[in-house]
Amino acid sequence: MKFWMQRVAMAILLLLSVSALTFGAMNVLGDPLFNILGPLAGDVNNPKSAALIEEVKAKYDLDKPLPVRYVKWLGDFATGDMGVQFSTDGQPPVSGLIKERIPRTITLLIMAQLLAVMISIPWAAITAARAGKRSDKISTMNSFFLLAMPNFALAILLKYIFSLKLGWFPLTYKAIDPYFERLRQIFLAAVTIALPAAAVYQRLLRTDLITTLQQDFILMARAKGLSRSRVIFRHAIRPSMFSFITVVGLNTGGLIGGSIVVETVFRIPGIGSSLVESVLREDFPVVLAIVILIALAFVIINVLVDILYSIIDPRVRR
Amino acid sequence: MSEETIIVSDSPDAEINAAIQKKIGWGFWLAISWVILITLLAILAPYLHLKDPRGYFIDIDGNGRPPYGPSFEHWFGTDKDARDIFARTLHGARISLIVGFSAISFGFLVGGTLGIIAGYFRGWLDKIISFTFIVLLSFPSLVLAIMLTALLNRSLFTISMILGILSIAPVGRLARASTLQFSDREFVLAARQIGASDSRIILRELLPNVVIPMSALALLGMAVAIVAEGGLAFLGLSVSQGITWGSLIQIGSDSATTLENAPWIAFFPILLLFLTVLSLNFAGDRLRSHLDVKESSL
Amino acid sequence: MQITKTRRYRAAIAVGLTFAFLAASCGSDSEGTEAPTTEAPTSEAPTTEAPGTPVAGGTLRYGVEAETDGLNPTSSAFAVSAYVMGNAVFDTLTALAADGSAVPNLAASLTPSEDLKDWTLVLRPGIKFHDGTDLNSAAVKANFDAAYAAPLVGLAVRPFYPTENAVEIVDDLTLIYHLLDANLQFPHALRSQLGMVASPTWLAAALEDPTLNQAPVGTGPFKYESRTQDSVTRFVRNEDWWGGEVWLDAIEIIPVVDPATRLELLQNGELDAMHTTETESLAALRADESIFNIIDDNGEESFLMINSANAPFDDIRVRKAITLATPRLEYNTLFGNGEARLADQRFTPESPYYDETIKQEADDPEAALALVAEYCADGLLTADGSPTCTDGKVNMEWQYTGPSVVGQRITDLFNASWAAAGFNVTNDELAQDDHIQQAALGQYNVIGWRQFGAYQPSNDNVWLLCRTVGGISLNWPRYCDESRDTLLLAAQVAPTIEEEVSIQKQISQNLHDAYTYIFLQHTVWANSFTSAVNGTCDVKTPEGVALACAINGTTAFTSTWMS
Repeated sequence: MKFWMQRVAMAILLLLSVSALTFGAMNVLGDPLFNILGPLAGDVNNPKSAALIEEVKAKYDLDKPLPVRYVKWLGDFATGDMGVQFSTDGQPPVSGLIKERIPRTITLLIMAQLLAVMISIPWAAITAARAGKRSDKISTMNSFFLLAMPNFALAILLKYIFSLKLGWFPLTYKAIDPYFERLRQIFLAAVTIALPAAAVYQRLLRTDLITTLQQDFILMARAKGLSRSRVIFRHAIRPSMFSFITVVGLNTGGLIGGSIVVETVFRIPGIGSSLVESVLREDFPVVLAIVILIALAFVIINVLVDILYSIIDPRVRR
Repeated sequence: MSEETIIVSDSPDAEINAAIQKKIGWGFWLAISWVILITLLAILAPYLHLKDPRGYFIDIDGNGRPPYGPSFEHWFGTDKDARDIFARTLHGARISLIVGFSAISFGFLVGGTLGIIAGYFRGWLDKIISFTFIVLLSFPSLVLAIMLTALLNRSLFTISMILGILSIAPVGRLARASTLQFSDREFVLAARQIGASDSRIILRELLPNVVIPMSALALLGMAVAIVAEGGLAFLGLSVSQGITWGSLIQIGSDSATTLENAPWIAFFPILLLFLTVLSLNFAGDRLRSHLDVKESSL
Repeated sequence: MQITKTRRYRAAIAVGLTFAFLAASCGSDSEGTEAPTTEAPTSEAPTTEAPGTPVAGGTLRYGVEAETDGLNPTSSAFAVSAYVMGNAVFDTLTALAADGSAVPNLAASLTPSEDLKDWTLVLRPGIKFHDGTDLNSAAVKANFDAAYAAPLVGLAVRPFYPTENAVEIVDDLTLIYHLLDANLQFPHALRSQLGMVASPTWLAAALEDPTLNQAPVGTGPFKYESRTQDSVTRFVRNEDWWGGEVWLDAIEIIPVVDPATRLELLQNGELDAMHTTETESLAALRADESIFNIIDDNGEESFLMINSANAPFDDIRVRKAITLATPRLEYNTLFGNGEARLADQRFTPESPYYDETIKQEADDPEAALALVAEYCADGLLTADGSPTCTDGKVNMEWQYTGPSVVGQRITDLFNASWAAAGFNVTNDELAQDDHIQQAALGQYNVIGWRQFGAYQPSNDNVWLLCRTVGGISLNWPRYCDESRDTLLLAAQVAPTIEEEVSIQKQISQNLHDAYTYIFLQHTVWANSFTSAVNGTCDVKTPEGVALACAINGTTAFTSTWMS
């Protein structure tokens, strides 16, 4: 119990530091006033503009010291009020934007994870069964290739081959299309994220399986005359599943990073592309919200994995 | 310092050297050769009598409108502005490699130092440093990099520093872990007993044993930094006005027409980037398995 | 005026152009129109349309080049995408007729006073906004007052109206516009953003809740239905439209930033209509027989702008030098793709205002070097005391919008030539908003821009008059010339076209001689439709006056039907 408490307290401290740093960086290095007022923010010599500047400063608390603003922002954020978009013209509040965009990114990531798992399990099983043979070595080279291909480059290659040359997948994402049509529109993006992830999973699962295959109960099963593939899928994979799922879970955080570039290449209006756009527009409330949400997802996943580990392996609780 | 401790402290090095020499395989040397070759080409690019990477080779009468495909005149073809992609790709290697190298060097310098200090002194110092590492690791690194590049200027120095800061945490964590492991070993305990100062123990006993096994991480980390720089450049956020692999790829893939009709603009830089990252990954991986650094600790 | 912080952020520009445009944000319209004559080489007469009787039904999917921020005509800066959406949901007080005149639209009539300073507008009776509010003179005044008071949009309104009582209500349907200057061309001012009339109920509500700016309420042929930013904005037919029957069931406006993708979507039928300025798409559009194109380059111009307020460019020798150092031909080769024409002035050769004696100077690095040497010999200092020249080269800053591939390409091209002709160029990449701010505040040396090209040239006066030089200037080069002002004001009251043409030619000469604009290309706008789309160019007023069917990339929807 104490271990869990510690872990959660640590997570909260972590989120506070992350949000404070991001909030500070955005406000010190950026210029929120400009986001709200545009050109008028610089027109300080004109009394009319100057009055407007003061009014906006008061309205958005820009005249208050940074720590005060941070605490206020944090309180609002915790209660689901992520503020208003700055560089906008009556766009929905940040929470509205996030609500609209986050399902797309989550769908994309789930699709990518499913694909990665679906690719990696058979791949690992086959290569583990043939460990050390030529096909295993070729597969190892393949995973090296996949991992050496930066995601933006992979995205471009897939787009070139499957969208532009073969025309199998559409070039754009359209929010009002039917659900299954949209799934097709994000498929290539999901594949881009899934392939390197699959290579990582395959490597780990393969190593795990090779160890398992050497254990007594497997040798027994083999001795009873079960075929190799049957042994792998019936008996060997099960003990490896827990660590496999852990890795998949932990890796989800890493995939969020990948979605930034991939969403941009395939022009999917999700959280990742929104982050890029709003950073470039210095739309601080949006950037803050997204960065904190990503960090939150990261931390929660890590805590969950830690706690799961501690249940399985009590030695972790030192 | 007694003779015995020297022998003990030297022995891991000897093992390492033996392991490297034993069978690191021709693949490792092939990969390293590519990295050296591309580095040399990048350094020597201005002296190789390449075409001017910023020159315009418009030839409407002979070739029509640019982009021109690969030819004897332009080995990798030209972009939409009739600029020579071969020359630009080699020049582009300069920024990509400099950023990759400086970033990981900075990561080693700062992260390595912090990691060793944390692992050696432990206590509250360790707590603070480890917490800093965790904070840094709780963003996907690209998120942090995008945020910082957008807020700061985009000189070669800042980009290298930003990516360097991002490599502090992974390097530091590994350095801390192996310091923890080594500081309980006999040769460190022995040095302590004979009254060697902390700084002497860190420099003479720990540093060689902690850092050398991490050389594999240096190669892998450089690959990561090069990819990260490519990602930034691809989003238009790397060194301003600089020619880098990422920005060349961006030029070639920005519009669907360009990508479809002139794929060479993006594909040649992708090829070089890919080969370089592949070589660094492969060499790093080989080195790691020979130095026997646990995969999980990376 | 000083901006204290150096700003270094970049924006995702929605538009694949370096030329930031505050397009027609304002009461003045900088929008152009189709050529008054049809023999413009790049204009195609709309003859390939399928004949037939209009049928109701169908959803028109329209691909636009960028998303727009807000849809409130009184407070949002309208770029072309906003105009496309605005055309669906709003009606304008006047409209551009096919013959080039401005004719009453929502208005029943518009009559000037003797001195051309007071214009009496009478509205058509019985028109209601989509929310049931009546269109009356109070509603029109509310729109004008909101635009006048709006911080940004008002910049282009305030210079032309008195501070008090600019619009006076006479009765329920009649009101009078009081102008500062006599203006025969005033009807043209009411056919763009300033003339779009929104429901006053909605305007008031939008002040309280700005998110309503995304859900416009007008009198137009289509009602706002839904909007997903960066994806689709949907309008449905207004069954009670005052102007008659509307054929389409719905219009979906879809921003597709990459022009090549937009073209492909049109060709494979995922879009029914689109617009583009990208010259690479034009050849493909022309070649495709199943596509109906309206291609026109009489609208906006692409040009470089020089800030004449600060050293070194306050000196005409330096302005002339940078003009001569500019690689205009190479620019047109790389970015015109054989489709765009070089521009010498604000008008194409087909325009009646065109002056064939005025040629844009450029492409003469030797002459530029000589001027630079002469200037640098004077050893002048800038306002903050730093030398204007280093090692015999003029120090300057080039500002552009980024990060964007096109922006970087243009920057590389200009850098190479300017550096060779005696300039030390520092590049400053800025987000589009920042870029416009710096231009408005005069914090720049040289920038690229896209503007001008009003069909009625007097509508471009807002960019040129002395009175729009100020803290925030819409006269971006901050160049004030009293004699030019006299010409500009004389042109807008010229009683005959001959007199007007002769004054406009003098203005063009004045612009040329001041060296504050370097004209590069006439922007080519294409509006393209699949064969299923009909009737776009049959748009008429209720009186049956044929209206222009495409204006700077925008089209009307009232007569469009799908087969």
